[in-house]
Amino acid sequence: MPKILLVEDNEMNRDMLSRRLQRKGFEIALAVDGPEGVTMALAGGYDLILMDMSLPEIDGWEATRRVREAEAGTGRHVPIIALTAHAMSGDREKAMAAGCDDYDTKPVELDRLLEKMAALLGPVK
Amino acid sequence: MTGLNTPEAVAELRHELRTPLNLIIGYCEMLLEDAIADDRRTALQQTLTAGRDILERINAAVPSSRGEISDDDFEALRTSLREPHGRIIAATSALLTDCGEIDSEFERDVRRVRSSAERLLTVELSMGRGANHMAITVGHPTFDSGHARVATRPAHILVVDDQEDNRTVLERRLTRQGHTVECVSGGHAALSQLQNGRFDLVLLDVLMPDLDGLAVLERIKANPNTRDIPVIMISALDDVASVVRCIERGAEDHLPKPFDPVILRARIGACLEKKRLRDVELEYLREVGRVIDAATAVEAGTYVGGGLAEVARRGDELGRLARVFDTMADHVRAREMRLKDQVEALRREIAGATLSSRPVSQSEAPSLPTGSLLADRYEIHEEIGSGGMGMVYRALDRELNEQVAIKTLRAEMLREPGLLDRFKSEIRLARHISNKHVVRTHDIGERDGVYYLTMEYVEGITVRSLLDTRGRLAVAPTLAIASQLAQSLVAAHEQGVIHRDIKPQNLLLDANGVLKVMDFGVARLRGVSTGVTEVGQLVGTPQYMAPEQLLGEDFDERVDLFAMGVVLFECLTGRLPFEGTNVMSIIARLMRDEAPSPSSLNPDVSEEVSALVLRLLSKEPTGRPATASDVVRQLSDVS
Repeated sequence: MPKILLVEDNEMNRDMLSRRLQRKGFEIALAVDGPEGVTMALAGGYDLILMDMSLPEIDGWEATRRVREAEAGTGRHVPIIALTAHAMSGDREKAMAAGCDDYDTKPVELDRLLEKMAALLGPVK
Repeated sequence: MTGLNTPEAVAELRHELRTPLNLIIGYCEMLLEDAIADDRRTALQQTLTAGRDILERINAAVPSSRGEISDDDFEALRTSLREPHGRIIAATSALLTDCGEIDSEFERDVRRVRSSAERLLTVELSMGRGANHMAITVGHPTFDSGHARVATRPAHILVVDDQEDNRTVLERRLTRQGHTVECVSGGHAALSQLQNGRFDLVLLDVLMPDLDGLAVLERIKANPNTRDIPVIMISALDDVASVVRCIERGAEDHLPKPFDPVILRARIGACLEKKRLRDVELEYLREVGRVIDAATAVEAGTYVGGGLAEVARRGDELGRLARVFDTMADHVRAREMRLKDQVEALRREIAGATLSSRPVSQSEAPSLPTGSLLADRYEIHEEIGSGGMGMVYRALDRELNEQVAIKTLRAEMLREPGLLDRFKSEIRLARHISNKHVVRTHDIGERDGVYYLTMEYVEGITVRSLLDTRGRLAVAPTLAIASQLAQSLVAAHEQGVIHRDIKPQNLLLDANGVLKVMDFGVARLRGVSTGVTEVGQLVGTPQYMAPEQLLGEDFDERVDLFAMGVVLFECLTGRLPFEGTNVMSIIARLMRDEAPSPSSLNPDVSEEVSALVLRLLSKEPTGRPATASDVVRQLSDVS
């Protein structure tokens, strides 16, 4: 059962997306802002991270950079998918430069997101 | 500038518009997965379609590549959103009407769809324009390092909510922010918890089954033990009337559910900061109260040293005041102890001398026979003394039924034109002196050509009699006389009255060692104000007179300080500082010689006491202490 960390500050977004993913068989853990997301990500145990980019305190790009910095030299690499409602040209490149593995926009199209997640998770264990 | 003209601002606007759509579309798709009934499926599908229409219109009006948008374009977009928005409102209304009690989760999700649609229409162009700042009011705030954030101190918070998931979310968030949290699921439990614990803040749900939040709020605010705890109401009811009800009942704030975590943090921070400031203010007022209590205790003589130690530890002005106060209180206490010892020594001296009536001498004053009645009011009991002015009697004031002293005045003293009027005005002034070391003058009267003064009657002995009996006094009783005499002069000089004739004969001591100065205001009648009469004859008591007074020069209250110096010199040494066989030789010595040091004549006298007496005896008034208050202060430092 893949374990997903969802980093999202908007309570309704968290509620909606986590419930939808749970219905698809994922185990979901929640973080509500950047620092919490980084802390939980580094604590380990997740197969993939869904990272909202507009977060208070430190945004998703910065949180991703911190996770990648901490992982450097450890051989660990948790896939991170950036989520953003901005959906502007260049956002994808910006997310990849920060260390994200993929990028998706809000409103979430669930099937599209699931495909991207599946690509990064590989065959279901 | 109008509209938005930077890519960042346009991106922020897209974010504000697309975030509610994420919820509308996401919840609808999820609810459709569960919906079985056709009408429900239809309404959900209508909502989803309307949401997707809106998304298309937004993407068309604000494409991802666009770096600017005008006011007109934005208004056109808003107008175009009204129609699909209306469809969402209509469809969700139908869904909510259809909800039964068992569908509470369904109802909650539909309400979220509806509130997201409503939020969509509140998005303003300015939210994009103030990308990094204005956005805080709606969706996803972006903090920068310059943003003024309330530094929240760890607090103990009570969360009251009947929904377990709400409690869990709040507990987690608040704990992560460094607070300690206790959770309860109902109103009664909340009140019980508040009675037992000490909380800095309460987060209180409004709708609860056992006792609703408003009732709990009222009880919290009615209880003196809990009313100062700030309460933030949390509720899905965010209409104006609900919010007003909460505020009117004393809630510090109101947070609509679902709450934005950032706003939650900011409001909790602001609330706790207000409470902290109030706590600081209350503590400050409590400590000011302690200082006032200490001052009252000092006045009552019950102050215990170090009573302000806690306040004195403060680093601010109040702490400094407490430290200074404690030091002063110690000083005052030491001084009082010293004065008490001195008065006790004086009392022993008095007890050793014979308490006797003041000596009676031959006088031309009108004589009043014992038992006679003066002015139909004063019953003469006995003759108790005589002075330069006349006789002194102890009498009973029949009107007030109390003992008084009556001093009759020699007729020839009043012959000088205008003197009687000046004397009367001086007596009027002297009557204003209210001090326990001053014999109170009551009145001046005349009956059958006899002028008389009525005064407070004091049973006691004069310092003159004491010196005549004991020769000289020890240092402690002399200082007791000095302190009390100086205090009486402070009171008189404050009223503008100069005694002009301070001498041992005018200083009366009762059996407890309390000194009272007689004849304030009377000396003017004797002509001692100038020392020398018009015909060059010296009247009064030249041994105690200051040089300027003897020479008829202008003088001020410092003549009383000089006389005090002579009295103290005499008490300490048993002799006068300037002696002579007649008036002229006394004046000559006073002008020519320096007074010997009292310590050279009495080895018990300390150098500092000696120096103070010599300062009082300075020939120039400017060499003396400037005021009687200065003498009081200087006396408090010597022993």
